Amino acid sequence: MAWRDFKQKVKRQMSDILEIPSDVVLDLPKVVILGNLQVFIENHRGIVEYTSETVRINVSEYVVVVKGENLLLRNILPEEISVDGKITGVFFE
Amino acid sequence: MFIFKLLSFLTGYVRIMVRGNNLEKFINMAAGRGIFLWDIKRLDSRNILVSARLSAVHPLRHIARATKCRFEFKDREGLPFLLSRARRRKSLLAGAAVFLLGMYMLSSFIWFVDIEGNKKITDGQILESASKAGLKKWVFKWNFTPSRVESVIKEDYPEISWAGVYVRGTRVKIQVAEKVIPGVRDEHPAHIVAAKAGLIKEILVLSGNPAVKEGDTVVPGQILISGIIPGPGLSIEGENNPGQERSGVMENTIVQAKGLVRARVWYEGYGEALLEEKITRLTGDEVSRVCMKIAGKEIILKGPKNIPFIESTGESQVKKPLQWRNISVPVELITEKYHETERYTEQRTRGQALALAEQRAMAQVSRVMPSGSRVMVREVKEVSVKNPENLVRISVFVETLEDIGVEKQFKP
Repeated sequence: MAWRDFKQKVKRQMSDILEIPSDVVLDLPKVVILGNLQVFIENHRGIVEYTSETVRINVSEYVVVVKGENLLLRNILPEEISVDGKITGVFFE
Repeated sequence: MFIFKLLSFLTGYVRIMVRGNNLEKFINMAAGRGIFLWDIKRLDSRNILVSARLSAVHPLRHIARATKCRFEFKDREGLPFLLSRARRRKSLLAGAAVFLLGMYMLSSFIWFVDIEGNKKITDGQILESASKAGLKKWVFKWNFTPSRVESVIKEDYPEISWAGVYVRGTRVKIQVAEKVIPGVRDEHPAHIVAAKAGLIKEILVLSGNPAVKEGDTVVPGQILISGIIPGPGLSIEGENNPGQERSGVMENTIVQAKGLVRARVWYEGYGEALLEEKITRLTGDEVSRVCMKIAGKEIILKGPKNIPFIESTGESQVKKPLQWRNISVPVELITEKYHETERYTEQRTRGQALALAEQRAMAQVSRVMPSGSRVMVREVKEVSVKNPENLVRISVFVETLEDIGVEKQFKP
């Protein structure tokens, strides 16, 4: 675990120095929220749960939870997901 | 997004209802294998609705089997399905093809030929000349060339200086410009005679022999400037030089008389106006009605049944369908319009009545007075009668200065 933390730290420093976007280097999800209409998640690891009120999406180390009404998965690609509907909240678990 | 929609329309897509307990796994597996799913909607706890490309249906079956889901097709959309539906309705396709072909055929004929700009040459002459070059009604558009038609028209009629042929859809416009040829001057012996009675004020002779003097009074038809100029040698000189001189000198010269004869001309006019007059006038209110007359029976299509005016004037337009020989369709469309009128008594003061009567009298005069004449004297007189009455009478007397000469031909 310590080794992994150390690796993360080095990576972060490298991306800061070289000014490379950290989502590329650190393998982080990119979450774009468009008003309360759309949530767009890049770099995901699949859906955990999907109902019309809640969408749970697995990203590298945690789960992104999108809450709302009438949620609809506009599209699903191996790398990206976009969720449409009346969004009330986005959480990380 | 539009490109994506167009692409999925062209390749065709299906709406699938997937039923199962582990739907998230189904979606993850599909996404993981690179199958593109969109518009995923949760219907209830066990069902979701998914859109997928036609080519993805087969792999989805395997995934469904692996995740213990079942699916059924709800909708089939896109071009491949439309085509297969159309294949079953052959006559519809044939109809569409016939329509397109007919449209193309009809639009490749010349339907109208318009001619513009001709004054002396008739439309028929130009059409005839154009038909020699292949342009007439009901020919195909590609059977003539506008530039050739132009040159043929110009060759046929030398008095046309320019011709243009424009094809606008099914209408051909032929524009021509005619040459302006100076006209031949009309030379014939003529007198100038008086058109109306008057007192000669001035006389200016350009050619001819003056027959009246300034200050003369003339009657209509009297010769003012004569076209016959008498030979000067009727006197002693003729006697002194007999022989060869006489024949030349004796003869009268005959010309076309020209000149200007201004005379004072009188006109009289009379007008009257009532002090109290009953007139009907329009109130501005109107009602229109559309009826259809079928075999003698009128059916009101639009408008009131009864005309709501006490007094009204109406106008009606009747439209009849095509008539051929003695056969006609017994249907007429009648459009009626009623304008409300009202009676009303106009009270005039004496001054107003006088002004109106004078106006009427002057209108009477100006009807006979030529437009170019100059009014010299104008006298307005009220005609009074013994018994007082509800009427004013005005007579006007106008004296003008105008050209009274008109040309009159004669045979020498």
